[in-house]
Amino acid sequence: MTEHALSLTDVSRTYRGGAGVQQIDLSVRRGEIHALVGLNGAGKSTLMKLMVGMLRPTSGRIEVLGRSAAEADPATWSRVGALLEHPLIYGELDGRTNLQLATRLRGVPATQRGPMVEAILAELDLGRYASVRARRLSLGNRQRLGLAGALQHQPDLIILDEPTNALDPSAVIRLREALLRRAGAGAGILVSSHHLDEVARIATRISVIAEGRMVGTLDPDRIDIERAFFALVHDAMATTS
Amino acid sequence: MNTFLDGLAVEARKARSSRVLWSTGLLLVLGANGLAATMVLAARSGDAQLVAKLGPQAAAGDWTSMLSAAAQITSAGGLLAFGVGASWLYGREFAEGTVSGLFGLPVSRGRLAGAKLVVYAGWALVISALMTVILLGAGIAIGLGVPDTTVFAGLGRQFALGVLTASIAVPAGWASSLGRGLLPGIAASVGILVLAQVAVLADFASWVPFVAPAFWALQPAASALPLLVVPVIPILFGAATVIIWRRLQLDR
Repeated sequence: MTEHALSLTDVSRTYRGGAGVQQIDLSVRRGEIHALVGLNGAGKSTLMKLMVGMLRPTSGRIEVLGRSAAEADPATWSRVGALLEHPLIYGELDGRTNLQLATRLRGVPATQRGPMVEAILAELDLGRYASVRARRLSLGNRQRLGLAGALQHQPDLIILDEPTNALDPSAVIRLREALLRRAGAGAGILVSSHHLDEVARIATRISVIAEGRMVGTLDPDRIDIERAFFALVHDAMATTS
Repeated sequence: MNTFLDGLAVEARKARSSRVLWSTGLLLVLGANGLAATMVLAARSGDAQLVAKLGPQAAAGDWTSMLSAAAQITSAGGLLAFGVGASWLYGREFAEGTVSGLFGLPVSRGRLAGAKLVVYAGWALVISALMTVILLGAGIAIGLGVPDTTVFAGLGRQFALGVLTASIAVPAGWASSLGRGLLPGIAASVGILVLAQVAVLADFASWVPFVAPAFWALQPAASALPLLVVPVIPILFGAATVIIWRRLQLDR
């Protein structure tokens, strides 16, 4: 078993106009929650898109569960759960059907699909929305359903971009507990966020990205984490300009 | 793990609950047959002015008139309706943002695009069959009498016209994928319709894939040989769509 659930080595991706991410080294170990923090436009989402193939790197190597992301087979991707940008939720289908389709897309065997869906509905307290068409759900509940779809198959690697967006405090706590349980069971988790307080509660490691580069790490237990974050970001911006 | 079958099951389930596919299909079925029946009834009313306006093919007010009217409406209206279906199947993923959830999965996007094409074909077959059955029922209901073998041959041609029209609407799905939204596909459908209207004036019109189905359906005596060029369109544009999805990057 590889120690790293995810590793990026010297990864760059440049958009037309020059923006993007440059020479990124990043890893997520099994059993850890690694938080990626940065200001808007720092490169967090670009980096996560590279991890799941939404973008291809200009250079560098990305490994997912020990396999090159460019060559990973279906069995490897079946052990990944990701939610980036919009949740994979179809408005014409109810909550339960959306989750059943998510299990199917992740290659879950037929006999396990039903119990898996019921388990995640209970875990994230989504039972009351199981029979409601998704188009009638609030933004927050659609996000919760999308998270359920990404987490229900107990993936070994979880990648979530701003997962607490639109969630109420109760849902945030449910998600936090769900992530801690999965990390405890050995999953490697990468979470991006703007909320330093939130990630400090669950993260094993916090990496800071600014101007498309990894600029340092933060100690989750540090009391003045906000001050340390801005110091790193401002140093990076000063170096770039 | 057969990821194509998984993708197909997911796409088929989505299509089953799709208001867009069902409402577009039913609109075509009821609209085409309703209009055809109305034209035949108008011709049978004996109003000389009306008969003159409907033209010689509808004037007789018999099964031939009914089949001819249905074929004319299907060749134009069907192209738009099937184009909307194809655009929606692919373009919705971009319009609703769900495309971002189709990465990092065991089911590749190329296979999902192929599965969408199979679902589209199934939908087109169902709609074409419904259109034919209801055409038969409508003809009997308005008093055209018991159909003979010639009429059944015409009904078979009408079914084939539905399927072939759906085939030449496949580029709408390609355009939706290329343009990453619903509107490029709709625009492509309209473009094909215009192209067909222009191409029909050419000497070789019956051999133009976008014209061949209507040309054949509206002229029962015409050879079916030019229909052999029609599959070129779904094969070419279907493959191009799969390639777009396989190579897709969300970089714009």
